[in-house]
Amino acid sequence: MPFSQLRELLLPTFRQHRLRLAAGFAALILVDLLQLTIPRFIKHGVDGLTAMTITPVGLLHLAGLILLFAGMVVVLRFAWRYLIIGFSRLLERTIRNRIFAHIVKMDAPFFEKYTTGDLMAHSSNDLGAVQMACGMGMVAAVDALVMSLAAIGFMIAIHPMLTLLALLPMPILAVTTRILSGKLHKRFATVQEQFSSMTEFSRSTLISIGLIKAYTMEDFQTDRFGKLGRKYVRSNLRVAAIQGLISPLATLIGSLGLLMVLYFGGRLVINNTITLGDFVAFITYLYMLIWPMMAIGWVANLVQRGLTSLGRIHDLVTSRTTLPDPVLPVPPAMLKHPGYELKNMSFRYSSSTAPAVDNLTLSFGPGIHGVTGRTGSGKSTLCKILARLYPVADGQLFFGGTDVNQLPLQFIRAHIGYVGQEPVLFSDTIAANIALGRADASREEVIQAAVNAAIHEDIVGLKDGYDTMTGERGVKLSGGQRQRLALARALLCDRPVLIIDDGLSAVDVATEHEVFAGLKRHFAGKTVLIVSNRIKLLSMTDRIIILADGAVQSEGSHEQLLQENSLYQSMYAKQMTQDALKEPESP
Amino acid sequence: MMNYGYSEKGQEGSLSDFHLWRKILQFSAPYWLSLFFAVIISILITWATLTLPHLVQTAIDHYITATTVATDARIAGLTRTAIHYGVLIFAIFFASFCQVLVLEWVGQSVMHTVRQRLFHHLLHLDLPFFNSNPTGRLVTRLTNDIQNMNEMFTSVIVTLFNDLLQLTGILVLLFWMNPRLAGVMTIFIPLAIIITIFFARLAREQFRAIRIQLAKINSFLAENLSGMSIIQLFGRQESNRQTFEHLSEGFLQRTLSQIKLFGTFMPLTEFMSSAAIALILWYGGGEVLQKRLTLGELVAFISYMRLFFQPLRELAQKYSVVQSAMASAERIFQLLDTKSEIVELEQPVQLPKIQGSLLFKNIHFGYQADNPILHDVSLALYPGQTVALVGTTGSGKTTLVNLLLRFYDPQAGTIRIDDTDIACLELRKLRTIVGVILQDVFILQDTLFANIVMDTGCSREKTEAILNQTGMNRFVDKLPAGLDTIIGEGGLELSTGEKQLLSFARVLCRNPAILVLDEATAAIDTESENILEQAIADSFKGRTSLVIAHRLSTIRRADHIVVMAHGKIVEQGSHEELLQRNGHYALLVAMDLQNDQSSHAAHGNEVVDS
Repeated sequence: MPFSQLRELLLPTFRQHRLRLAAGFAALILVDLLQLTIPRFIKHGVDGLTAMTITPVGLLHLAGLILLFAGMVVVLRFAWRYLIIGFSRLLERTIRNRIFAHIVKMDAPFFEKYTTGDLMAHSSNDLGAVQMACGMGMVAAVDALVMSLAAIGFMIAIHPMLTLLALLPMPILAVTTRILSGKLHKRFATVQEQFSSMTEFSRSTLISIGLIKAYTMEDFQTDRFGKLGRKYVRSNLRVAAIQGLISPLATLIGSLGLLMVLYFGGRLVINNTITLGDFVAFITYLYMLIWPMMAIGWVANLVQRGLTSLGRIHDLVTSRTTLPDPVLPVPPAMLKHPGYELKNMSFRYSSSTAPAVDNLTLSFGPGIHGVTGRTGSGKSTLCKILARLYPVADGQLFFGGTDVNQLPLQFIRAHIGYVGQEPVLFSDTIAANIALGRADASREEVIQAAVNAAIHEDIVGLKDGYDTMTGERGVKLSGGQRQRLALARALLCDRPVLIIDDGLSAVDVATEHEVFAGLKRHFAGKTVLIVSNRIKLLSMTDRIIILADGAVQSEGSHEQLLQENSLYQSMYAKQMTQDALKEPESP
Repeated sequence: MMNYGYSEKGQEGSLSDFHLWRKILQFSAPYWLSLFFAVIISILITWATLTLPHLVQTAIDHYITATTVATDARIAGLTRTAIHYGVLIFAIFFASFCQVLVLEWVGQSVMHTVRQRLFHHLLHLDLPFFNSNPTGRLVTRLTNDIQNMNEMFTSVIVTLFNDLLQLTGILVLLFWMNPRLAGVMTIFIPLAIIITIFFARLAREQFRAIRIQLAKINSFLAENLSGMSIIQLFGRQESNRQTFEHLSEGFLQRTLSQIKLFGTFMPLTEFMSSAAIALILWYGGGEVLQKRLTLGELVAFISYMRLFFQPLRELAQKYSVVQSAMASAERIFQLLDTKSEIVELEQPVQLPKIQGSLLFKNIHFGYQADNPILHDVSLALYPGQTVALVGTTGSGKTTLVNLLLRFYDPQAGTIRIDDTDIACLELRKLRTIVGVILQDVFILQDTLFANIVMDTGCSREKTEAILNQTGMNRFVDKLPAGLDTIIGEGGLELSTGEKQLLSFARVLCRNPAILVLDEATAAIDTESENILEQAIADSFKGRTSLVIAHRLSTIRRADHIVVMAHGKIVEQGSHEELLQRNGHYALLVAMDLQNDQSSHAAHGNEVVDS
């Protein structure tokens, strides 16, 4: 990907902080210059001592100057670190926020393409690589450039030929560092891969520990794990082989330069071509060159990796949603009793060849509509399309009489209360989780919604009641409790459309029946769609729609279907006998 | 025992550092020769590194500035010194390389041993342990924590040892060259140590603050990603974006304060280095003027001072690595010390020839003590008998099997095989006597053959014979490469029915005396169903069999039917007897018949179960 496209991600931040960067680089260059001056003081001192021309006061003077310069270096170094590395963190934050802001706008197909793992990797590893390249990478590049140019300049001023000799090994260092760190990166990637396969192996083994024990596979699995482990050890040694080269190599090349100076420079001093002070200063400059030479190779890799990562981030933040979200000049007024109309609606998941919804024609307005059908008949897909999570073609789905593709997403969604199959709770208090769609709701309203969803008693029983934390680090709720919480969340919003996609499947039939019987009044005048396979619940609805292979197989009232539909009959028969055997719900 | 991993912030302190180091050394003991070699190399490197400035000093004092000596002799001496120098730098290069490799090899090998030991240990812990310890945490112990400990070997031991050796070496040299000047220089040591420790403490705090904030960002992100549709449906994009930006800002502030800390410390050590040079120039220069120090020595002093501050800086940076490695080591060794609650007898009873009688006697059990699942269950199977367990979900059938396999011990009552309490048997032996065919199957990413045989050493001929005998060859022949078909992730996905067939083949290879079958509740394709039926018929012959049955055909094959409800046996007898009684069993059968008549489709069961 050409850099001109990627620039767009970086430029605004660079421009915004241009003064900060300018000041930072000025400090960096000043540090370099000051540092290069210190060897000059040492040279003066040593020369003075050789010729015995310097006085103790003169020495004190020089020492004072070194201290003064060193003090200035401390301040300036702090300045560039704070300004430039700080900038890279600012940049990191800006891009991180941008990624998040983009992600929350994306549609369901996007989340099929990018898994949670991918997105987490983008926001940590890739972002990290960009931050490194724009922070330490930039610093090292500038620093190496200034230091090497200046040090070489000073060295040339002392003796051009000796400079050339001393620098002879340096390019080898730059080239080998570049090659080696590229190789290191690759080998390290192998180590990471093996690390994750080891992780995956132990995870899959431990998660099926019962099976492992039942088949007495303990030792067998340990052996297999051992094979992975030995492979991992070997790859680590391959990494170590390179790591073990890079740093000693730098020392070696630096010392080689020093050897040149010692031998040839020593001769020059003996021949009185340069002074001993020159000789010592030369050595100091040479030390200063080792780091920039290593840095060149390192920076090249850093930049390369940063660019690759930037490319991936760019792909991510420029990906487009497939859901049209038109901006209307006049925002439409909220509808009181909206209905849906589906005209030959079809939908296919990108990962599948068969359509999930196939030529579905259906319309429904205020009232309670039950939807049932076998797994894969398209019930959930239908719910998700109605909630505008997946796109539909023009002219297939109408909301309140208007093609959904002509309406802003948020406008449609603001009409819908939704309870999904898998209740999602966030790491927050229970009250906040219920008030997700209405952050302004009073505690009374929250409690009322919880009462309606038959979860109030459970909440009151928790240690901190409504202020109990849920989610990853909070209290663990059972599947049924989570589902009723999700129902309370939807009820609190009190929106004209309510879509319940098998929302109380983990609650026993009797409780579910009770909850919905209690909600009858609440549902008056609303468009309610309930997906369920439970006859008892379906029998409460005004109309039942049976889906098969993405289309309506049959529809009618409970009594009608009981007479006409064989699938419905068999469901009825089974569930009635099971009720007879039913035990109390296990907690 | 519940607390593994929650104290990531540091050591819990229940195992002392001394204790930990002793354990680490125990694991490293087999590698003492290599470690000894690494130490020798380390001494060599230090010696060579410190000799280099000395050679430069010699060159300056004896040849370069020795104006009284003949030029030729001076150049010859210089050449000799240069050759010495060249040999030494190559020696350092090779020695350093060897050292890194040797230590990495030892470190990785020790970690491999620890990892294997831990893995083996974990697999032999009992199921109650796994119920109270989330898998994720155990995996972290096996991977990340061991990796952390490895850091200690490779980078920490190297740097600690090399750096400390180098520091000592330099000090000795300085005192040897000029005690007065060296004495003056020692004022930097306490100063440097104080600053270093101070920095290391602060840096650790800040690293932790940054890590915690990053974890917050990541978990917020993960949570939002998995609940994105809900966020969008409830219109929370904007407020969640604000929360995220708030977290992001918090991370920025923490990294910025870390930059400030590093921005102060890093230049400070450099400043000390410069200050040391200034001091040498002033004080040492004075000594040179008074002829108490040679110029070469002065230059050498300056070089040594540079070498002196470098290891100090590295020691400060390694401090936090050591801390986290020790915390990891502690967690690992604690886990290794965990004991199973289900213990084998020291001298287990040996059963020479198994008849196959099985007795559950007055079993009481609950996964939690206060929530009993089984109430006083007694059941006897004579050798060769087939008993079907029937009942709705949650009636305790599977729990009974879990107890038979001794995944858990009953709170009261005993289970006996041929009159021997299973608690007196070796666990491994017990689980070979009792072969189970569960609904779920652990699939190795390998050929079907490897999946059937596993570690039994069953030959291909014998496997094929077993398959032919039970009619399961029909299932194998259907697969693209027969027994050599790769299955599992990345290979062929097996259907529920095929998985159960594989499970069957696996168990038959082991020829158990007692067979337990947990029949698949989910629908099975007709073809697998037919093969399964024959396999069941054939393998039940001559074996004591306990079946958790869901299919009428399987139930009817049993000699005796036991109906369970609420953790009790409510009815038992033959099919005909039970039907006549018109109780639970009759209802269950009616339900199944309904199913068979009206739902020809495979999905029938799924609809009921939801």
